[in-house]
Amino acid sequence: MTQAETMPGELPDDAQPILSVRDLQAHFRTDRFGVKRDVKAVDGVSFAVRRGEIYGLAGESSSGKTTLVRTIAGAVKPPLDVVGGRVDFAFLPGYGGLRRAPAAEVARIRWRHLSYIMQGSMNVLNPVRRLRSAFVDFAYPHIGESRKQFEQDVVAHLARLKLDPSVLAAYPHELSGGMRQRATIALATICRPDVILADEPTTALDVVVQKEVLAMISGIRREIGSSVVLVSHDLGVHAQVTDRLGIMYAGRLIEEAATVEIFRNPLHPYTRHLISSLPRIGDDVPRKGLEGAPPNLADPPPGCRFHPRCPLAMEICRHKVPATLETAPGHRIACFAVNRSEAA
Amino acid sequence: MSDLLLDVCQVSKTFTRGGLLSGQRIAAVKDVSLQLDAARPEIFAIVGESGSGKTTLSRMILNIEIPTSGKLLFDGVDLATLRTGADRLAFMHKVQPIFQNPFDSFNPLKRLDRYLFMTHRRFIASDGRITPEMAVDEALHKVGLSLKEVSHRYPHELSGGQLQRVAIARALLANPKLIVADEPVSMIDASLRISIVNLFKTLRDDLGISIIYVTHDLATAYYVSDRIMIMQKGSVVESGDARTVLNAPQHPYSRQLREAALLPDVAAGL
Repeated sequence: MTQAETMPGELPDDAQPILSVRDLQAHFRTDRFGVKRDVKAVDGVSFAVRRGEIYGLAGESSSGKTTLVRTIAGAVKPPLDVVGGRVDFAFLPGYGGLRRAPAAEVARIRWRHLSYIMQGSMNVLNPVRRLRSAFVDFAYPHIGESRKQFEQDVVAHLARLKLDPSVLAAYPHELSGGMRQRATIALATICRPDVILADEPTTALDVVVQKEVLAMISGIRREIGSSVVLVSHDLGVHAQVTDRLGIMYAGRLIEEAATVEIFRNPLHPYTRHLISSLPRIGDDVPRKGLEGAPPNLADPPPGCRFHPRCPLAMEICRHKVPATLETAPGHRIACFAVNRSEAA
Repeated sequence: MSDLLLDVCQVSKTFTRGGLLSGQRIAAVKDVSLQLDAARPEIFAIVGESGSGKTTLSRMILNIEIPTSGKLLFDGVDLATLRTGADRLAFMHKVQPIFQNPFDSFNPLKRLDRYLFMTHRRFIASDGRITPEMAVDEALHKVGLSLKEVSHRYPHELSGGQLQRVAIARALLANPKLIVADEPVSMIDASLRISIVNLFKTLRDDLGISIIYVTHDLATAYYVSDRIMIMQKGSVVESGDARTVLNAPQHPYSRQLREAALLPDVAAGL
């Protein structure tokens, strides 16, 4: 596809990305009692996900991570509205996103090529149906083989994820939160999708279980070669599993690089603050908090949205939006203080 | 009256689940003891997974839950002997809670300053010299806010971090000796979390308030606390100086927790 060449941050030797998002804008629009509100939850985000990589999205709450993933998954319902930009999947060329594709196409690719592990997804299972029925409901129509064969596939898949086949006979309430989360991940991966969108898959889990679930996600990537978009506010999770990491702030992607690079050499002042404020066991250096609060997205500050809290803010930051530029190979940053040449 | 601010003496709590005959007994807290010194304010962390009984223990310290066996003494007074409303009020004067989700602790339809003035009316006898406005403003200043920022605002108008500060300011109004904070930062954004944790240090150092910090996050527990207690399934598996315990955990469960804590060191992670 041609847009691969125009993608910012694209390495020349890269194969065509499995998922590319270009200048995506998704706003929550409400018009109640004559009061119009336009909350710019995702405002001009571009990134590409390569085949077989785990791409992390980090940011605090209300930075637009979940909205971004919802828009990619095509789960767009009012008041959420896609205002501009496109989402291209390698397996769905030519439409610019699930939203514009015909219903038959969407039905074809959902679950088979693209699956979505929602936030709090251990609670999505129907409480009055056994897990076996959940597998049949979700995945059976997409696989197209006999019921007996399907059952065998499910058992084999569970075994691969080190889950006991007896969970199939259980009701959701009979399983612990960690088990339920693993069962939902098994459910999302049974069709060996090309892209898995995972929104905070470990947030409600205990640390020990969290580690197991993360190991399971990296295992899935290794076994079936899916690409994973992993959303989490916890940088520890990203350090553990992701290959590349995008940092979001107030609806924009402000920095993107290999995860190792982000941790070793963060460049954006916000990322630098995030990394340096993480408490570590065995390190007694006092940490400093960041002044101020994340902006209200209905009325964001003009220019760079981080400038009211930024220690490096300059005059230009107050009225001009910094472009996302590639400063080092594979390291993209939207900041005038870092990309000096742009500010001049 | 006593050298110990808080003396938790082998308390246990058992919940019964199910019917009268088929009831199942669940021991949420088993035989836990801990002491806080009155002369030396400290931050005491209680760490464990969910289901380890850490919240039940903190609720017993707050006198919300009554222990099945064992005794809790606060400032030498047995909590079980607090019968009258006046006794309870005096206890609440000295022990204040902070809860996990600041958006749940405040009624969304009430203005925030009302909470602060209500708490003030309840605990502080007005002596004419200090007006309620001054007292509230002073408490808010201790947490880095001011009455001007908070008055006439509703909970949704503030960020989670600011709201948690208001919750702490409300607790400070009563001038407590002990604050029991149950997962106070787990709902707070990363960029604001550390400022709340730093605030606890300030409260300990400047105001001499002891803090029981209930959490599942080992990294902030290490950062902020003086002593730590690790709980598993209702029992204490390891306790002691926070640095010693977390640098070299002895019990297998503590070691497992320590290993499972996701450290932001990429080299260690991969």
